[in-house]
Amino acid sequence: MNLRFIDWIWHIRGSLTLVPEQSSEEAFDRLDPLFRQRGTSHERTYDTLTFRKKAQAPQDKMSIFDDGVLRIEKGEGGSVLRYNLTSRALLLCFLAPLLFLGFAQLTIVMGNQKSSTEASDKAKKEEKKEPELKLNPIDKFLGAPEPEKPKKDDKKKGKDKDKDKDDEKDDKPSPTPAYVFAAIFATLYIVGRILEDWLIKRLFRRKLAGS
Amino acid sequence: MDGIRVGKRVIGSQSPVTIGWENIPKVEGGPVKQFVFTWFQPAALFALLAFWYYAPNSIAKASTGIAIGIGFKLLLLALEWVNPRYDSWRLTWKELITDLFYVGLGYTLLRMVDTYIGDGAMIEAMQQSFNWDKLAWFMALPLLVQAFLISFMFDFGQYWMHRGMHNWYPLWLTHAPHHYITQLNINKGAVGNPIELFLIGLGIGGFFDFLPRAALLAGTLGLTVSIYQHINVRFNTPRWWRFLFNTTEHHSVHHSQDYEATRSNYAGTWIIIDRMFGTCVDGEAELLGMEGGRRMSVGETMTYPFTEGWKTIKERFGRSGSSSASEPISVPAE
Repeated sequence: MNLRFIDWIWHIRGSLTLVPEQSSEEAFDRLDPLFRQRGTSHERTYDTLTFRKKAQAPQDKMSIFDDGVLRIEKGEGGSVLRYNLTSRALLLCFLAPLLFLGFAQLTIVMGNQKSSTEASDKAKKEEKKEPELKLNPIDKFLGAPEPEKPKKDDKKKGKDKDKDKDDEKDDKPSPTPAYVFAAIFATLYIVGRILEDWLIKRLFRRKLAGS
Repeated sequence: MDGIRVGKRVIGSQSPVTIGWENIPKVEGGPVKQFVFTWFQPAALFALLAFWYYAPNSIAKASTGIAIGIGFKLLLLALEWVNPRYDSWRLTWKELITDLFYVGLGYTLLRMVDTYIGDGAMIEAMQQSFNWDKLAWFMALPLLVQAFLISFMFDFGQYWMHRGMHNWYPLWLTHAPHHYITQLNINKGAVGNPIELFLIGLGIGGFFDFLPRAALLAGTLGLTVSIYQHINVRFNTPRWWRFLFNTTEHHSVHHSQDYEATRSNYAGTWIIIDRMFGTCVDGEAELLGMEGGRRMSVGETMTYPFTEGWKTIKERFGRSGSSSASEPISVPAE
């Protein structure tokens, strides 16, 4: 399979037109501080800069990228900086929803196993004892609500059969958080793919302009 | 670097640490900003305590607590944006997704493990066979006293677990990855090896779920005090607050690149426990982390206790390791 069709997931590519009087050397000189960060190594030839980053600090402005190539090409309308940058963080964020969907499935499977073993143990088990709570006179004076009566009292009255069913459900770990996190990571991937594309372009543009 | 003598030790000889409240910068800006960032912490604490104290039983539930917790964290993220303590700690997209990955593990995988083999399972077993009459005196106490005692006892246990992690090598191996963070943000408390998060989560806190309102009030102390350990916000924290409670300033000292500084401020909520045992250092630090600020990847965070532990075992008991056998590779909180 040709990776070109899917590598936009973890690659950020772009181009910037250099100002007419700016040479390749001058442009790379201006970008140079970005590659003098902790954990970053880089090589420069006349028109190409290749870099690699390892254990990059969060304070590194290019911390999201692990390696990349910057090339200056001469075209009809002047010189153009083209870049192709790779980000493992983008790839992992893209894959994270799958991991959390996996956790959701695992939660369901484990929950089913738990409820089947609990059902067989239920006859042996006593009801969970709960103490009866009374409000301290100070709390009564300050107006705190009275605590609820223990559930078994309600049960005796034959009221809360549905409530008990709900409680049983609550005993099982819910897969909902895993689904929520899958959705969060899917959303954050889209945000990151757009945001980081824009941020790196802005960073290169500012550095090339000398600010 | 000379460092500053605090009690018997010298703090800041390896990496800069500011010592003393009088040396810590104040909130900059207009009167409204000053007012907000001076009173935000106490206002949030008392507002939420009042909410849980008076909320009707139908609302005073754990699910409401989770919703409030998420909302409060979003608000604090906004505060980080508006008034950061250090620009070098600004949250980036990569830091956000990394932090959220660990938060996600906490809500899914760790919660599942906890239910089956952690304190969730132990507490359920204890509650099944507990004689409630023995706790009648506790249940008769005023709600806020109950909440204080639950919170303080839980934090007391956490203090010693945390201090143990900094002083006993096997426990340190699980805690070390958390010390590789190089900045503090709202979700950084979740960053670390899952074994550590499991160990630090063990505690008597969950035992008190039979006192729902007191447990929720105690949880509020965690939400509105302990949460500021990892936050990039400049506050003018009131004097009484920083005497009683842990703050982002205290915790930044604990995360400093300076070895002596890291051996302080172990409590999660009640810094007064550190004062009781002589481990409190009032101050702050900007340069955080280990090995001069090397960032640890998610993969290494997951495997670190095993790989480092294995290396140490080989050093100690391996055939070629006799010369350096007495030196562990990773020293607690260096």
